Amino acid sequence: MRLSRRRFLGGAAAAALGGAGVYELVDRLSPAPHRTVAEPAGMPAEQHLIDLGTVQSEGVEVVVPPLHSEVVTATVAVSDLRDAQQELEQALRALDARYALNPAGLAVTVAWGLPYFERHVPAQAKAHLPHDRRAGKPALLPTRTFPSDPKDTLLEENDVAVLLRSDRREHIDAARKALFDDLSIFRMTSIRRGFAGGGFHGGKSLPQKMAVAAGVPGADLIPDGSELFLGFTSTQKAGLGPGLIANHETLGYVDLGSGYFRNGTHMHLSHLTEDLEAWYLNFDFDERVLTAFRPGMTQVKQGTQTVAQGPKDVSSPQLLARQFHTTGRFGHSASIQASSRLQQDTVGDDGTVYPKGTAIPQRADFNTLDNPFAWTVDPARDKLSKQPVAGVHFVVFNPSSDDFHRNRLAMDGVLPDGTKLSLPPRTRAQGFNSILMTTHRQNFLVPPRRHRSFPLAEL
Amino acid sequence: MRATIVAALAALALAALAPGASGGARSGCPAAWAAGWQKLADKIDAPVYCPTWMPNPLDAKIGGDYEDIYSIGKDRSYLVSFLAHGDLGSGDVHVNFRGYPGRTEIPKCQTIALEGKKTIRGVTNCFADAHGTANAPGITATVYRVNQDADQWHILLAWRYNHSLYTVSEHVIPPYTYAQIVQNLHRLLKSLVLVRPQG
Repeated sequence: MRLSRRRFLGGAAAAALGGAGVYELVDRLSPAPHRTVAEPAGMPAEQHLIDLGTVQSEGVEVVVPPLHSEVVTATVAVSDLRDAQQELEQALRALDARYALNPAGLAVTVAWGLPYFERHVPAQAKAHLPHDRRAGKPALLPTRTFPSDPKDTLLEENDVAVLLRSDRREHIDAARKALFDDLSIFRMTSIRRGFAGGGFHGGKSLPQKMAVAAGVPGADLIPDGSELFLGFTSTQKAGLGPGLIANHETLGYVDLGSGYFRNGTHMHLSHLTEDLEAWYLNFDFDERVLTAFRPGMTQVKQGTQTVAQGPKDVSSPQLLARQFHTTGRFGHSASIQASSRLQQDTVGDDGTVYPKGTAIPQRADFNTLDNPFAWTVDPARDKLSKQPVAGVHFVVFNPSSDDFHRNRLAMDGVLPDGTKLSLPPRTRAQGFNSILMTTHRQNFLVPPRRHRSFPLAEL
Repeated sequence: MRATIVAALAALALAALAPGASGGARSGCPAAWAAGWQKLADKIDAPVYCPTWMPNPLDAKIGGDYEDIYSIGKDRSYLVSFLAHGDLGSGDVHVNFRGYPGRTEIPKCQTIALEGKKTIRGVTNCFADAHGTANAPGITATVYRVNQDADQWHILLAWRYNHSLYTVSEHVIPPYTYAQIVQNLHRLLKSLVLVRPQG
């Protein structure tokens, strides 16, 4: 099996579109979709929530992701955190006033890394950071690698990450300017850009158009209308955590202590490259289904992009283990579902009943041509290249670091009950993992909106 | 045999000058290549398809500078492969021709996956993930995207003639883009001429 190969960028088009230049195409390639999203009466307590609206895709309700996403990471550049807190909050409130909290406007999520809490507010952090009672560990854990990660995956140490989401690039550009150029409280460390969707009403999707325009290998093999590079719809509503489920407090996994971080959540940010040629030239459609979803899924019509993954379609650890022993492989969704879906009906902190099979993580991942970032303060460390490469900036909200770690370990066949579906890392039988390569990772805490600016600095 | 391709753009610019560049002129197997293809047809005692055009810089001279594989099985099936390898990192051009006399089903290929200390063996169709057809006079070929063995990473066209299966494939790798490789394969298909066994 030849799963590595020398590769090149084809043609002058790719060179011309390299680096940030490729993003200038975004607005030309896909106009903002028409949405029927109601503007919220007030800002929610949670920073990570945004009403995205849904469409029907092949008979399945699918959340329409924002066309454009960007993450800016930074370190704190000032010593007077209380002044900085005021400055940042004023700037954020100005953005809140200028743009509605929906994809037609702008969603801003400010997340803080462990280095911020340890270096800048250590005493307050010790007193107020939430504790994961299920794991017996802090809710925000140091970033770690996973079995299928390459050895050179970089574990980052940013103080802060700001996630900007909108259907309009100019809104994101304005927000980045307001928070990072106009203020002098941060030292930017990276800018990460990307896109998703745009093809739900037929024709070519934005990721497909962007990949073709950039000339990345395998771009021509992406199916028309594909929400993301890999050809399957990943934002079906039943596959994303509903409402407040990813809040620290909702499922009872996390002890909030003082309650300072109530309405907050955990965010994991990583960058992965995707070998599209290997995906489309080495895995036929049936095998792409088996490996993306689960073994035994043999009745999916050729060319289907939206494969139902509702609570009734969910795998269990027992089924997963049985299918693994029968087929020698486990599917991406099936393995993660062993920990990412509720294994029994659960009543949330606010009384909401979440049925068995409900998804917990709220993903906000988006495709990118960054290699690995659009910009970095340290090109050598990050191995920055201007040659576009197909990839994902993976952004996901979970109640805690441990909850994310459980899901990610399950993706490598390490199940929450200790069962190990023993496959060497990155083998073909691991499906997705064999064509993904993680370059960077970091865990963050997302405070509630009321404490989004330099959390704990006022105490 | 190997040759060096200087650069992608140079290769593309020279495409029109490639041997048999009049592509599609199906007057007969080019004189310089004919002997080898005739010998193959005679050896397997079945018709073979000779191209009259090849993507630059390849030619289709069996026994020539670009021949990479010349293999005839006990069942008379054959694989003839031509390869130009870009030693300076400029890419490869790799085209395979296959024939399976007297059988039309998609052949099976063995898969071997090393999972740690375990070797997992399986069987799969050698050509899979059909995506439409390509046509040439007398030929309706199915386009396959996921192929095995020497055709792995290739786009492959397969068609049936006279109770036999034939294929031509090209490796998806620069200097040619995927779109150019599909174009090359369509042009190759249109350039094919039958060489029948003599005697």
